[in-house]
Amino acid sequence: MGQVHAPQPTGPNTPKVHVSGDGDQEKTLVVIFLRGGADGLTLVPPVADDGYHRARPLLGIDTNEGHRLDDLFALHPHLGALRPLFDEGRFGVIHAAGSDDHTRSHFSAQDLMEHGGEGVGGGWLGRYLRYGAGQDAGGGVQASALSAVALGKTLPESLRSAPSAVVMEDFDSLALGQDSYATALLLHEIELLYGLETGELGHASRSAVSALRRIEDLRGRPYVPSGGAEYPKGEFGRGLREIARMIKARVGLEAATLDLNGWDSHLTQSALLAPLLRNLGDGLAAFADDLGPQLATTQVVVMTEFGRRVHENASFGTDHGRGSVMLTLGGACDALPSLGGHVTADWPGLDGSVLEGPGDLPVVHDYRDVLTPILHWHSGSTDDAPLPRVFPDHDPQPVWRRRHSPS
Amino acid sequence: MSPRRHLPTRRDLSRRGFLGTSALLALGACTGCGDGTDLIPAWGFDFGGWDTGRDPEVAGPFDVPAAQKIDLVRHVAGRVSFGLRPDDYGRIRGLGATQEDAARAFLEEQLAPESIEDESARLIVRRLETLDEPVGMLFEFQPDLLLRELSRGALLRAVYSRRQLFEVMVSFWTDHFNIDVSKGDCRWLKTADDRDVVRAHALGSFPELLRASATSPAMLWYLDGRTNRRRTPDERPNENYARELLELHTLGVDGGYTQQDVMEVARCLTGWTVRSEEKFFKGRVEFRPDEHDNGAKTVLGHRIPSGLGRRDLDRVLDLVALHPSTARFLATKLCRRFIATPPPTNAVDVVAQAFLDSRGDIRSTLRALFQTPEFFDEHSRYRGNRLKRPFHFVVSALRTTGAQTRADDRLLDYLLSMGQAPFQHPTPDGYPEEETPWLGTLVWRWKFAVALAENRIPDVSLRIESLLREFGDLEDLARHVLGRQPTAAERSGILRSASRGPQALALLVASPAFQRF
Repeated sequence: MGQVHAPQPTGPNTPKVHVSGDGDQEKTLVVIFLRGGADGLTLVPPVADDGYHRARPLLGIDTNEGHRLDDLFALHPHLGALRPLFDEGRFGVIHAAGSDDHTRSHFSAQDLMEHGGEGVGGGWLGRYLRYGAGQDAGGGVQASALSAVALGKTLPESLRSAPSAVVMEDFDSLALGQDSYATALLLHEIELLYGLETGELGHASRSAVSALRRIEDLRGRPYVPSGGAEYPKGEFGRGLREIARMIKARVGLEAATLDLNGWDSHLTQSALLAPLLRNLGDGLAAFADDLGPQLATTQVVVMTEFGRRVHENASFGTDHGRGSVMLTLGGACDALPSLGGHVTADWPGLDGSVLEGPGDLPVVHDYRDVLTPILHWHSGSTDDAPLPRVFPDHDPQPVWRRRHSPS
Repeated sequence: MSPRRHLPTRRDLSRRGFLGTSALLALGACTGCGDGTDLIPAWGFDFGGWDTGRDPEVAGPFDVPAAQKIDLVRHVAGRVSFGLRPDDYGRIRGLGATQEDAARAFLEEQLAPESIEDESARLIVRRLETLDEPVGMLFEFQPDLLLRELSRGALLRAVYSRRQLFEVMVSFWTDHFNIDVSKGDCRWLKTADDRDVVRAHALGSFPELLRASATSPAMLWYLDGRTNRRRTPDERPNENYARELLELHTLGVDGGYTQQDVMEVARCLTGWTVRSEEKFFKGRVEFRPDEHDNGAKTVLGHRIPSGLGRRDLDRVLDLVALHPSTARFLATKLCRRFIATPPPTNAVDVVAQAFLDSRGDIRSTLRALFQTPEFFDEHSRYRGNRLKRPFHFVVSALRTTGAQTRADDRLLDYLLSMGQAPFQHPTPDGYPEEETPWLGTLVWRWKFAVALAENRIPDVSLRIESLLREFGDLEDLARHVLGRQPTAAERSGILRSASRGPQALALLVASPAFQRF
């Protein structure tokens, strides 16, 4: 049974070290949620598994069609932009991944995955930001003002209980005021008054002033992505672009969340998923190009609440299932080499005997087993210990050391 | 109500010369694009049928603090409220012939909230219909709606209620008996806990408050009490609530209990649960004798005989509610909230004793706190040195400026950005009172100050012209916001900003002094 753990008795307050406002050392975690239950067997089809083609006579990706990743898996053709990143070892796939949720309900499954466990308050990302990766970290973490940003209109449940969480649609909404000139003057006045403060408040004001200055600097100028990156049109591409902008502006961004909706492909799946796949692949590739060297301190995780039934249905679609894929892109792959350039999977195969319930790919890799080492990387450790405050009652299996064993 | 009392020194013109008419004119000229005051449509804000029960015009003239440092009336009023409205200082100062008399009269008034007329606040909150729903009916609503109405209710009451000390204590107990709505059925049940536990007893008796909390369905969910059972000798009780009861609700972590005590208390509370499955009676709290460990227990050295069944709960609460460690723990927290962090030990001693002497009467305990020299703080060691938490900051900015609000989503978003969304603290210790966790919120406090002054927050309406007109000039407005004369640096900053529209007000609300109380 989940417990709500009280913080350790407050001794000397030991806030997590932040370089807010001067975030050169900061690492950023970007969590992308594919809402609706994305079909892992379409994103990264096991093209060398005969069972796959038997189950998906109409919707399956042909063996030669995709971008082959290894002797079993291929990338969907529309995700081709990610292929070079895979070869460079910066993009990776964890297959047959998911959560314990057996309800196959969007609401329950998203709820469980974003809260990071049952019977626990807050979201996993929010708790991580509040308590850090340390097992003994007390409460009272001091977050920078822009440490966690949710791109969009609402706060995802995963960010509940973050020490600070900002919901915003674009970079400009971070600015202090509307008129740049007046804002600069006001900021100067604020700086003068806080300059007379000798205590912690004065100290805190300095990082706030410099973060706002950098935002003010960048605002107004049209943003030109680096490396010739071209983001796909639409909300998702724009969201990625704004995240890249904040990372480059070094505003102390520790975590950002972004959704890509519409994966509930009960009917005419191929047509429905095509634009989403392009959006996802082209968006992530543009993000990597744009960040350039800063991709080394950024890690993207793509997750979804569940995968889909192995057998296609009569409406050219698929129904709610269990295991899907998680995708990783970024700097954690340097520290955790098997995260990039590999499809990690204890592949169970798609025989009827291994399928779960009504015929679903079982969940072999718990999503928390993927997130745990990434959070350790983010907090600057190479540990792979459990994170009891982030994922209570979960003893992680080291998924990142396991490879698929081809049948 | 006592007649308005004009302080003779306040209209001493030589003292007011800095920010006089010219600054005011400059400000007026810049807010619109022509001749100032008439350009903004009169009260151009649609409350959508919300009767706020208040004259939307801020109607002066107002008395403002005159001294160089925060005076006693302002200090006391600031400590027991979420900030002073434009007319508060004059009214409170008028309650007594001297500053001390006035401050004491105000405290007595606030200690008797039932005698404070508060119809307008009641009418404003009445629109939030889920707040009055009985426990069982709450499950008929979407959790999002419940949380939103609960949060709006908290904000609106803090902004509009005249029973300010009561609302401050509601906020205090909400943290003390923290429940995070995102856990399990708390998303439905916290509404009842807020009403039937926290608000029902906020200025009442601590033992009764504790008992209400112990049997609150939301608390039984939040700290797993509902799963604390022992049907067979092998079954291990769930200790979660028992531990927090001792550590956070009563004795405090250094209160002298042992792990053995935690386990024994957990045994005493086995069998208390809340119905969560059936459609009918969902959310009902009940005691199941077959899930209760009916053996003898020893708690804090006291033997609880076997066979007491549900009365074990009474025994445990009797042992802890008025325990000397509980008195000390609560006194420390109260002194931290009302006096200083860290709290002065002399005051803690007095308050702890008053708690015991009054058998946990919250009013008597507070009255004793208000009578300590540390609270009045004649030598200004503590005045204006407590950092407002984000909720306090936002509410005090609205109160100070006389802004009208419906406390809709945008306002809640600001609290989220500052990390103090109501009812969403994940761990049972509640939002911290200490400064450090809140120091990262300055960017959002400043952004809020600017947006408020520029009247850009949806569902918030601020009329800077009438504010200035009624205060007479910027100097008086500054004294009202800061609670004292502006310092030389503040004064020149305000003067320089006065020519740029609402920036002078933005600077005041963003200033270090306004972050404190």
